[in-house]
Amino acid sequence: MSREARLEIMRRKIAAIEAGGAPARAVLAFGDPRIDGVFPAGGLPLGRWHEAAGEGLEIETAVAAAAFVAALIAPLAARGEIVWVMRRDDLYAPGLSGLGFPAESLIQVMARDEAEAQGVLEDALGCAGVAAAVGEVDEIGLTAGRRLQLACERHGGAGFIIRRRPFGGRSGGGAAGSAAATRWKVASAPSQPAPGEPGLGPPRWRVTLERCRGGRPGAWIMEKSDGADRLRLVADLGDRQLETPQPLRLAG
Amino acid sequence: MALERGARRLFAVDERAAAFGLYVGQKATDAVALVPELATADADPAADGTALTVLCDWCRRFSPAVAMDPPDGLFLDITGADHLWGGERPMMDDLVGRLAVNGLFARAAIAGTPGAAWAAAHFGACATIIAPDAEAESLAPLPIHALRLEAATAAQVMRLGLTTVGRLASLPRDQITRRFGPAVVLRLDQALGRAREALTFRHPPNPWFARLVFAEPISTSEDLARVARDIALELSGRLEAEGKGARRFDLVFHRLDGRSQSLAIGLCLPGRDAVAITRLFLPLLERVDPGFGVETVTLAAEDVESIIQRQAAFDGSRTTAVQETVAPFIDRLTNRLGEDAVWRAEAWPSHVPERAVARRPALSPPRGTGWDPGRPRPLRLFRDPQAIEAVAPVPDDPPIFFRWRGRPHRVRRAEGPERLAEEWWRHPFEAADPARARDYYRVEDEDGARFWLFRAGLYGADAHPKWWLHGLFG
Repeated sequence: MSREARLEIMRRKIAAIEAGGAPARAVLAFGDPRIDGVFPAGGLPLGRWHEAAGEGLEIETAVAAAAFVAALIAPLAARGEIVWVMRRDDLYAPGLSGLGFPAESLIQVMARDEAEAQGVLEDALGCAGVAAAVGEVDEIGLTAGRRLQLACERHGGAGFIIRRRPFGGRSGGGAAGSAAATRWKVASAPSQPAPGEPGLGPPRWRVTLERCRGGRPGAWIMEKSDGADRLRLVADLGDRQLETPQPLRLAG
Repeated sequence: MALERGARRLFAVDERAAAFGLYVGQKATDAVALVPELATADADPAADGTALTVLCDWCRRFSPAVAMDPPDGLFLDITGADHLWGGERPMMDDLVGRLAVNGLFARAAIAGTPGAAWAAAHFGACATIIAPDAEAESLAPLPIHALRLEAATAAQVMRLGLTTVGRLASLPRDQITRRFGPAVVLRLDQALGRAREALTFRHPPNPWFARLVFAEPISTSEDLARVARDIALELSGRLEAEGKGARRFDLVFHRLDGRSQSLAIGLCLPGRDAVAITRLFLPLLERVDPGFGVETVTLAAEDVESIIQRQAAFDGSRTTAVQETVAPFIDRLTNRLGEDAVWRAEAWPSHVPERAVARRPALSPPRGTGWDPGRPRPLRLFRDPQAIEAVAPVPDDPPIFFRWRGRPHRVRRAEGPERLAEEWWRHPFEAADPARARDYYRVEDEDGARFWLFRAGLYGADAHPKWWLHGLFG
């Protein structure tokens, strides 16, 4: 066996280890090489779970993160059911519908506490007809995260955790170790209406990919235009994410 | 004892007190004078009612159709149930015997009509069984009170010398009606089977019913789980033989001490798979307190309907497959979290934001037309709008600055107003007030956070409308 062939086998093994032992599965592509390029498989991997959180006080309403996730997973509704597990009943279906999400086919579940919400998520993802499950929970521990991962792998469903602290509740601590495949930080960004038009433009988010298993982090400004079925990349913030909001003005 | 017509009177007497000549309605002082060592207790009709309800539930072991006859009676429809005891007589003996073991004295009778059974139980010989079509001669010697007449009517009938049912029945019907009103004839007909009587069963009669009786009472959780599976297998076999499925299953554990504990599960698609049904019951078994042991278990299927063997269509294959894989998941959730914890949203034709969304069961087909995409709506809608301090130019401009939960927000862009008035047709017309209209604005602050604000009412001469935050856009 040649040296090249052996190297290639080793590379594949490493890739498999990095992928968490599971074989490569389908991905949810953003449709823009500048975003898809940071993921090892060319898109957000399905059969995994992902974590999205807001910043500061936003973690109590988690509205930007929820909107971003809804806009992101709208194409998955064609593959199966989508389940949304929450602890506060304030998700408003017409608003989801406005983000291009098929709100009328979403299964909404109200859980009474954290443990129950995580249990429902696991149960949903272990079900063959469920394409994605979204949970608004405070924190996922390492064990719970691993269980969630196993549930995702069973049928290739994608899990999305939206970090949300109960109103007035104490934070469950930082996102220390986590079994999530990717971790996102989502904040609203000022919108830009079409030139000459009054009012607000389509929603925009400043999205930071803080952690990506087997891939690179990144930061972008994305927009969900009316009628479009995917998120549109407005600006690549690249490595300048730690700077002052200078790039924001460039974007706006 | 109970206070009645200004004096304490006897409300009920037991067998031994009756032997002393005491009777219901006697003044307490008279009774104590006759029997100085009389033991009395205050009457508690509410507790009697509760006890009757408990007894009614207990009687479900004999028949699923039990109706209460306050204050002290029960009707059991034993049609089709007596063969389980080997006949009517053994069944009645078993019932009365079990009650006696528990310290309850009961008089029972079996007849073809509820009226005849009532008469025989209250005024006939002990444990009468009236054969079909023998109601007339069996009831003839009984006093007129056996017809369940009102006290005033019964007294009037008695005054004319019609002391027994037989004498009354021998009169022409039109004369009875003319003298005593239609109720007497109706009661007579009901007793003799010429008129039907509707009993209000506490649990509707149900042919989909299975029952397991144990020689030895069981109490361990493994045993409870096993009998739950066994009884589910029995009922599901019958359902399968007839091509039926049920949406609700009611599992009742009857304990040795006469109490019963029931567990219920619901399915979103009619089903009969014993394994799936048992799996739904298993987490609920923790709630069962077996006490000294469980001697009988019953399982009833409700909302029974035919199951059509579905075949995946060429084009609609996905919907069928998804329904079949998702339905058990929905069932698990609804049984664990409650029926209102799992739903899908549906557009409701109302312009009021709080009312624009209806909930439908998770597996019912969609029928809504969706929401108007031309009206932007927030992703999170607060159930109660939150008060904000806002600075806005009078009269109709969006705020330029507002403070929510202590944080200032400077408005960068705004859209609106969208004026939503109340639905005046849902209230009395006079109560409608144009000042309750809301002007909604969509605003974006400097950080890009988007809010849905409204001003309640209009600026007027002395009116200062308040500003509220109703929702957040993503």
